Amino acid sequence: MDTAPLDTAPPIIEAHGLAKSFGSRTAVRDVGLTVPAGCAFGFLGHNGAGKTTVIRMLTGLTRPSAGTIRIAGRSLADHREQVLAQVGAIIEEPRFHLHLTGRENLQVIAAARGPQARQRIEPALARAGLADRGDERVHSYSQGMRQRLGIARCLLADPRLVILDEPMNGLDPGGILELRELIAGLVAEGRTVFLSSHLLDEIEKTCHAAAVIDRGRIIAQGAIKDLIGDTHTEYELTCDRPQVALGILAAHPALAQASQIPGGLRITLADPRAAGAVSALLVRAGITVLSFAPVRASLADRFLGLTSRVGENA
Amino acid sequence: MNATIARQMIAADILKLRRRRSTMVTAVLLSVGMATLYFAFIETRHHGNLAGPQALSDGATLMCMYFGAFAAILIGTEAGSIDLASGVFRDLAATGRSRTALFLVRIPAAIAVTLPLTLTGFAITVAAAYAFHGSAAAPSPGLAVTFAAWVTLATIVQTTLAVGISSLTGSRSVTLITVIGWNTIATSILYLASFLGSVRDLVLMIALGSLSPGQQVGSHAHPGSSIALDNFKLPMPAVVAVLVVLAWAALPAAAGVLRTRTLDA
Repeated sequence: MDTAPLDTAPPIIEAHGLAKSFGSRTAVRDVGLTVPAGCAFGFLGHNGAGKTTVIRMLTGLTRPSAGTIRIAGRSLADHREQVLAQVGAIIEEPRFHLHLTGRENLQVIAAARGPQARQRIEPALARAGLADRGDERVHSYSQGMRQRLGIARCLLADPRLVILDEPMNGLDPGGILELRELIAGLVAEGRTVFLSSHLLDEIEKTCHAAAVIDRGRIIAQGAIKDLIGDTHTEYELTCDRPQVALGILAAHPALAQASQIPGGLRITLADPRAAGAVSALLVRAGITVLSFAPVRASLADRFLGLTSRVGENA
Repeated sequence: MNATIARQMIAADILKLRRRRSTMVTAVLLSVGMATLYFAFIETRHHGNLAGPQALSDGATLMCMYFGAFAAILIGTEAGSIDLASGVFRDLAATGRSRTALFLVRIPAAIAVTLPLTLTGFAITVAAAYAFHGSAAAPSPGLAVTFAAWVTLATIVQTTLAVGISSLTGSRSVTLITVIGWNTIATSILYLASFLGSVRDLVLMIALGSLSPGQQVGSHAHPGSSIALDNFKLPMPAVVAVLVVLAWAALPAAAGVLRTRTLDA
């Protein structure tokens, strides 16, 4: 996906030294988070890592035990009402008055947000694809419809920042695709989407940047490509006579590591600029090279490498 | 928060309550239904000779101390806990609207739903008192207005009490059992515990009972023409009674505000 100019965008969320304790248990500690404006920002972490606690602090639902939060340049603690007026959020699963219709549920939130929000009810329903189901009770809505109604509720604020906590939970593939498009549309309008999800592949496809939280601490954050750390030093090549090719490459100074795999080789180069020379060397030696491609690292690989849970369970 | 937003929020809370079908049906049955049933029973029993002023007293007591009060407590309880129970409170809190405002709008909304019911129940009383007073004197309009004011005060206080306690506990069942149990069983026991003396003046229903205009009825009553309803009447200064009644609204409301402001949504 296209990458927004993250380095130059002013931050919409700036959190410093955030901590939250529940009794003697510390849920998050010393969290520093900088979210650039106008991008989709992923927030990754295992269950219990502290994601929802951070989101609840960002939305003013719980007070930090320590630290500061600034949203759109204003302190959340000092300007709570003005700051949250610019934020739409789904926290955990979206909850509604089940005995009210979708439209009535939006009326309830719009009433708290102010008169302009009432004007946004119909456009929000239409955008969430619920214009023709708005007069049905939410009790009869599917999980996907409730997620979409939750998004519509976020839009009542005409938000600069949309916070979505696990919005893809319970959605079928079609619903996930729709949500992905909706998020892209929100970002295209200049809004920031802060997206917490377990679906690492979705974060990689949807977001420009991300932060990883583990055991209540932010352990990495930045642009997705930087987080993945994909420097293209590892390659897979398919060729005839891989045993011979391995012998030819063994003496090449750029080769850091090489191993045989079915139908070819996996090699690691000390310098990725040497990939062309390595390929040419094999061709000159009479090896038929069928393919020569970098091995792409994924966000999931990086996430699992960074976080502690897998290692603990192993 | 300006008046427009306050009006919209109150309207939204009224919407939530009015759409809660089971609660509304129960509240209508407790107020309008029970008043109708009561006077149908009395009329059938006394064959068109219902004592007018006594009927007013009975009807008002029915609304203030018994079934109308139950309806007020039911709706107040619903208003205090409906957002927490549904999980929508956190979404309301995340709008940035002050939590004090989120709590305070529940009170006028609940009163706006409850008061028409108890006043309708009382209106049935008034109609019955005029229509079926028989040989007894018809009640004066002034007496009817005084009783209506008593019904209004009692409804507002009981509704506010229930909103406050419900917001404090976050539980409908706990609130209903506690408030109705206190107002009926516990109050009955305290009312009879004469050794407590004027300490009993601090009990809501006893203070409300002492404010009842019922003593004006005595000379007009037609003996045996209606069922005497015990309304926990003890002699106490009206000022004390008013202060006690207001405290029973203000203190639970303050507790409700405090809880709403501090709870982790």
